[in-house]
Amino acid sequence: MLEVWNLRKVYDAHGRRVEAIGDLTFTVPGGQFACVVGPSGCGKTTLLRCAAGLLPATAGEIIVDGARVTSPPAGLAVVFQEYGRSLFPWLRVRDNVALPLKAQRIARSRRDTLVDEALAAVGLADAHTAYPWQLSGGMQQRVAIARAIAYQPRVLLMDEPFAAVDAQTRADLEDLIRAVWRRLGVTLLFVTHDIDEAVYLGQRVIVLSAAPTRVAEDLAVDLPADRDQLTTRADARFAELRGAVYAQIQKVKTGRTEP
Amino acid sequence: MKPTPRKRSLRSRFRGGPGRVLLAVGLPVVLVAVWWAASAGSTDFYRPPLSRILVAFADTWTWDRIRSDVLPSLARLAVGYALALVGGVALGVLVGSSRTVRALLEPLLEFLRAIPPPVLVPVFILLSGLGDRTKVLVIAFGCVWPVLLNTVEGVRGRDEVLSDTCRSYGIHGVLRLRHLVLRSASPQIVTGARQALSIAIILMVISEMIAANNGLGFTVVQFQRGFQIPEMWSGVLLLGLLGVALAGAFQLAERRLLGWYHGQRTGRRER
Amino acid sequence: MRRRSAALGLVGLVGFALVLEVVPRTGLLPAEYAPPTSRILAALSGEVRRPEFWTALLDTLRTWGLGLAIAVAAGIAVGVPLGAVPLLRQATATTVEFLRPIPSVALIPLVIVLYGSTVRSTLVLVVYAAFWQVLVQVLHGVADVDPVAHDTARSYGLGRWSRVRYLLWPTALPYVVTGIRLATSVALILAITGELVIGSPGLGKEIDRAQQGGAVPVVYALILVTGLLGVLANVGTRAVERRVLAWHPAARREVIP
Repeated sequence: MLEVWNLRKVYDAHGRRVEAIGDLTFTVPGGQFACVVGPSGCGKTTLLRCAAGLLPATAGEIIVDGARVTSPPAGLAVVFQEYGRSLFPWLRVRDNVALPLKAQRIARSRRDTLVDEALAAVGLADAHTAYPWQLSGGMQQRVAIARAIAYQPRVLLMDEPFAAVDAQTRADLEDLIRAVWRRLGVTLLFVTHDIDEAVYLGQRVIVLSAAPTRVAEDLAVDLPADRDQLTTRADARFAELRGAVYAQIQKVKTGRTEP
Repeated sequence: MKPTPRKRSLRSRFRGGPGRVLLAVGLPVVLVAVWWAASAGSTDFYRPPLSRILVAFADTWTWDRIRSDVLPSLARLAVGYALALVGGVALGVLVGSSRTVRALLEPLLEFLRAIPPPVLVPVFILLSGLGDRTKVLVIAFGCVWPVLLNTVEGVRGRDEVLSDTCRSYGIHGVLRLRHLVLRSASPQIVTGARQALSIAIILMVISEMIAANNGLGFTVVQFQRGFQIPEMWSGVLLLGLLGVALAGAFQLAERRLLGWYHGQRTGRRER
Repeated sequence: MRRRSAALGLVGLVGFALVLEVVPRTGLLPAEYAPPTSRILAALSGEVRRPEFWTALLDTLRTWGLGLAIAVAAGIAVGVPLGAVPLLRQATATTVEFLRPIPSVALIPLVIVLYGSTVRSTLVLVVYAAFWQVLVQVLHGVADVDPVAHDTARSYGLGRWSRVRYLLWPTALPYVVTGIRLATSVALILAITGELVIGSPGLGKEIDRAQQGGAVPVVYALILVTGLLGVLANVGTRAVERRVLAWHPAARREVIP
């Protein structure tokens, strides 16, 4: 479970004060798949970094599984957009996935089991001895996802993870992440700029306003649990939801300061 | 009308196994042959025929001589170089990890690095005499700077996303030092180590030429002073071979250590 | 931010000078052989007043500059054709890889017997060492020419000379400048080394003379001067390199020398 209470983040950039996040409050119940969208520069990444404990908040608090976040909490995993830079190029795929487990001093045999299962879950069982740079972009992101899976988190944060891959790979990865989420039952906070993706993936879409960011709208996505790239995206309800989100984003883009 | 047969380009003639070998050894063989022929009838005392030099080489560098002179030189080189590597990397990591310390020390370190290492030999002789310790210290002190400064550079340029990944997944301590700090800085460290190796060899030779009673550099200088010219030439050849051998060994080590780095860069270029 | 870094750097240097002032006086280092900073600076001001010092400095600069110029000219003259013609490059690859790592100082006994304790001996050392630095960089630079750009130029009928001027030179230039930077510091090291060991005129010889004569603070003062020369050379060549690279941000790829 992830709770955000009155989060505020102000940056001091070259003498100017930038209020990236104004006042964000929302709660993601345990096991929910929540997507966050918003106009460019609305602090989506900042929100994620605060939730991940990588950035201290100026005011307000974030609570993960009942504990206040002051530093990267255990039980929380992050998948970054830049997969190429978040994998260790001198380690093979399986060693990359195993490294966080090594840090936790998990015994070798248990570690191997977790790694094998995670790689199988993302369809990379055959590539476990390869180096990340020998793989395509989509496969590298799968490795990053496998690493998160093996870590067995209760909360998973994803920062525009599919923004840097091509459309067909993105479709595959979207289905993959839904399958993974259903299997693991993690609480998933998924940040994206792609509205279609947000509606397709999430049980809920949180729309953020422009900076200073607030929650502009919180939509429940009542599409069926079994989703499919062809049929779901052709669904009338999908188009409705998509349209609602799009309209909301247009509104927050033009209306600078929301009360 | 019959088509004219295409002329095979000069380059395509060299494709394939034998062509490759020819290209690789062709020029060296030619150069050696030219040297041999040009010096064959030489009566110049200072430029003996190559044949005499090679004979002197075989006669001079016997196993006994190698053991008494060459091995000690190599040993001093190895110890001095190892000290420089370990010290340079350790200090480099410490300095590179703090912006303040780096700003404080960088100009000073750049100055110390800019001092031509051989001038330190007289100073070290003054401070610690003529023994082995001096030579090792000179080598270590002279070639630590490229290692240190390059390590600082490497540690500083560490990828933020990788750093964040380590923080998120709780990778701290020794594991973090090994994987995040050292490994990611290793291309830079290796560059520094390569520069340090050249300096180490220079210092080994110079320190022995100036003040020693054994060693490769010392022996060659003795030959020169004693006007044993073919022997001197053979010593110069040996020094040259040593330089080549050490460079080759370094390249092998680098390829193993940085295999991932070269693979990554090739991949990036192709993409 | 940069001002703060510069200030801290200055503090570091001054701090080091202070440490070197105090430590010999405490006896940790023998003051006779490791004089305190004040004595070194006094010796330096003494040296600066002697015309012999300036003669020696000029001698060093001359050897350094001449050797560097010859090495750069030769490096470019050899490197461009070698790099541009693939067959030549392959034919010479092993020779270059073999000759390059030969330590310049190995030639010292040779040049002493052949040319004596003259500037010529030291020049051989300087040129030999610096040449390879330039050559390697030039080879990289010529090899870096984008084959697509090359084909495009040819298909537009650009003659050989135009191709060299508009394609080869701009691509290779950053590499040449890097080569010059590396060669400059190597050339200084070998020039001083030659003067020290062979005895050709220059600062290195003065250092040897001072050491033989037991004038220890003078030795340190002269070392300080050589360090300053090295720093000036580094700073100067880096500044030039930065300016050249500023025009060619895209053409430059990482080259680890």
